[in-house]
Amino acid sequence: MKKLTHVSLMLSLLFVVATAGVADDAILIKNGTIVPIKGSSTMVGDLLIENGKISRIGKNIGAPAGAEVIDASGKYVYPGLVALMTAVGVTGYPRAGNDTDETGTSTPQMDPYDAINPEDDCIEVTRVGGVTTVHTISGSRSVINGQSVVLHLEGTLAEDMIAKHYVAQIFNMGATEQNKYPSTRPGVVSYLRTTLNQAKDYAEKQSGKDQKTEKDKKSSNDKEGTLKRDLAMEALVPVVTGRVPALFITNNEVTIRNALSIIEEYGLKGIIRAGPGILKYADRIARLNIPVIWAGTESVPQRWESHDLHYHTAAVLAEKGILFTFDSGGYGPGSRNVRNITRPAAISVAHGLSEKQALEALTINPAKILGIADEIGSLEIGKIANVAIWTGSPIQGRSRVETVIIKGKLIPMTSFQTRLYEKFRKIVDERMKKK
Amino acid sequence: MGKRFLIILAAIILAASGIWAQDIALKGGTILTITNGTIENGTIVIQKGKIAAIGKDIAIPDGIRVIDVTGKFVMPGIIDSHSHIALTDVNEATDPVTPQIWMWEALDPGSDSIHKTLAGGVTTVKTMHGSANVIGGVNVTIKLKPNRPIEELIVSSVRQQLKMALGENPKRVYGEKGRSPSTRMGSAYVARKAFIEAQEYKAKWDKHEKDLAAGKKDLTPPKKDLKLETLKMTLEKKLSIDCHTYRGEEIVWVINFCKEFDIDLLQISHCIDGYKVADIMAEAGVFYGGWVDSWGFKEEAYDGCPYGMQIMYDAGTKMVINSDSPVVGRYLFREAAKVLKYTDIPENEALKMITLNAAESLEMEDRIGSLEKGKDGDIAVFDKHPLDTTTKCLMTIVEGEIFFDYSKQSVTAKGGSR
Repeated sequence: MKKLTHVSLMLSLLFVVATAGVADDAILIKNGTIVPIKGSSTMVGDLLIENGKISRIGKNIGAPAGAEVIDASGKYVYPGLVALMTAVGVTGYPRAGNDTDETGTSTPQMDPYDAINPEDDCIEVTRVGGVTTVHTISGSRSVINGQSVVLHLEGTLAEDMIAKHYVAQIFNMGATEQNKYPSTRPGVVSYLRTTLNQAKDYAEKQSGKDQKTEKDKKSSNDKEGTLKRDLAMEALVPVVTGRVPALFITNNEVTIRNALSIIEEYGLKGIIRAGPGILKYADRIARLNIPVIWAGTESVPQRWESHDLHYHTAAVLAEKGILFTFDSGGYGPGSRNVRNITRPAAISVAHGLSEKQALEALTINPAKILGIADEIGSLEIGKIANVAIWTGSPIQGRSRVETVIIKGKLIPMTSFQTRLYEKFRKIVDERMKKK
Repeated sequence: MGKRFLIILAAIILAASGIWAQDIALKGGTILTITNGTIENGTIVIQKGKIAAIGKDIAIPDGIRVIDVTGKFVMPGIIDSHSHIALTDVNEATDPVTPQIWMWEALDPGSDSIHKTLAGGVTTVKTMHGSANVIGGVNVTIKLKPNRPIEELIVSSVRQQLKMALGENPKRVYGEKGRSPSTRMGSAYVARKAFIEAQEYKAKWDKHEKDLAAGKKDLTPPKKDLKLETLKMTLEKKLSIDCHTYRGEEIVWVINFCKEFDIDLLQISHCIDGYKVADIMAEAGVFYGGWVDSWGFKEEAYDGCPYGMQIMYDAGTKMVINSDSPVVGRYLFREAAKVLKYTDIPENEALKMITLNAAESLEMEDRIGSLEKGKDGDIAVFDKHPLDTTTKCLMTIVEGEIFFDYSKQSVTAKGGSR
């Protein structure tokens, strides 16, 4: 028994060494139609990946010694798609249970990083669909939900996957409570104001304390400067001081308006996730330069509205110069089809958005919103090598993803769904043979 | 007076010439017939609500309305064999057995969902009881004719389907109320008990009718029971079954259950695990009804696997793609495109999943689901191939009548928010 453990330990060590070796290896994609999204224009050519980064894009690039060469003739090379507002990594029954939405009206201290499960089945399913980076949020059902992180969908530990901590605090302007305060939308606004005011006070005291601490070093007998630590307030300080964006979930016209008021009133670095109703505020949003996560493409319009009002909205947002991306189709344990982020994009293209704008909305725009556009979101030299090779445009429902590379690593094109397929292909075939 | 006379005269002349006001011809489009390949630059003539002619060089009768669809794609009206639109009520969630419920009595032809669904090229829908009850209500198959009397919507010639539901939903609904069924065993018992009572009820009525026929006098008819009446109709195959179930072993269970009672099971809806028992479904001739790539939205949906459609296709399982919602019903053609992403199933077969196969699952394949002479004039016109996800529906025609026209009803046509 002991011997066996040793053997398996050695085997796993060998595996670690082997995969580590692959990680440093170069990958050369040859003769693909490269769609860089930003920087250069679309061309047929080669793309070289070294040390996890895109090192060259051009024609007739020679393969470095030991490089993996992928023939992409007739195929399309895109940057990995980036999806916002997901629960990837924090939701995973029946294996790990669900870790979204901690109890409480205000839980800004919640950090999804503390719950990341690298074995979440959704990770593989999402990345083989061409989405290489996700923004995972801590929850959506409370007024103040918590933090959110950016993950690259590769890695065996949370620390391997994390691309950026605390990219935004998640507020929900429609998260009314039942039978307790705040049970109305004005109540939510008031609750939020009170909490943000407390956070501002806390921030002032904290900076005052910091100054005092400097003095304390000189006169060691000052005992006044001890500020009792409050983890919730600490989590809100970067928001009220404008260092971390405040992302507002809204669900109708009223909550969009309330979010805009709070953003302006407190001078927050705002992001709005909105559905129907957004167009009424589009000019104000454009003026304030607030990025939008447009979640309403597939919402059914009211009976007095045209059937295609929301199909058409992304085109209007683009026309007004608003930085926007698409919502990944809802948040929560039930929303595992992050890969279908391409569908609202396709619908919008059918109704006036250009394909170029749609692809930007799935790549560089979300990267900008997350503040990591210098690292991902396009195929540019020096950026992290998050790349997918497709048989056609990602917005075409029929296009397949043939190769996925994340942080320069070639990803196995398998998931629990491909394993289910293999398993039941055999079972069904064998049963049919017997008949 | 003279004017009225002229109108009457015109009507007489039109009637004599066999031209209806709704007769229509679509000219110049790429016609996807589903059953007879693609006709480039073809013409389709609809008269009295039926396809009168279809082909490349078709003479268009004089005086009928001609619509130029050059460069556009013409396909049969899309069919959704699992929806809940146009209903004022969906779930009679007060008892696990409610076959006395008939969904046409909740049918609302004024529901805006009809118009919004037409805009996705859909012309026929089976709109259903919900999944709260093991035995729910009788679904109703309708043509999407907004604001018309319900008699014009309901397809009365077709056998309607009784809804059954197994798995988590009835367990949750009644389990939470502290009632049975709260387990799959409980649901199985509830279903079996109901149909055994129906068999006994049917035997009583059969005997009574036999006695009547034999001329016996002073007979007291058995007491009418509206629940058992519907189940008796099901035993008599005047109704068939559409059963909502996710899990493989439950699919096998309901197939065996319907064999046991000799009742017709036409479709398994929400059939997430269908691929696991593809051969068994194929042998039973029951339709897979579901989505292409949904998974994990609840525990029994966890094993949803889009690649599984290939297993079902190869095993000969009949498949239809359903919406189950007013949202997805508006873009079933985009769902069909994803079949090509995850499988090597041919294009036309993917299109069948929203047309001819769905027609067959409703036992209406002789009327709808393909563009053939004699079939209903149910048509959807798209600006690009319907499996191009950047296409949009331009026109939807039901039995020769245009009920949706993008050029008049789009936000841009209405001078909307641009």
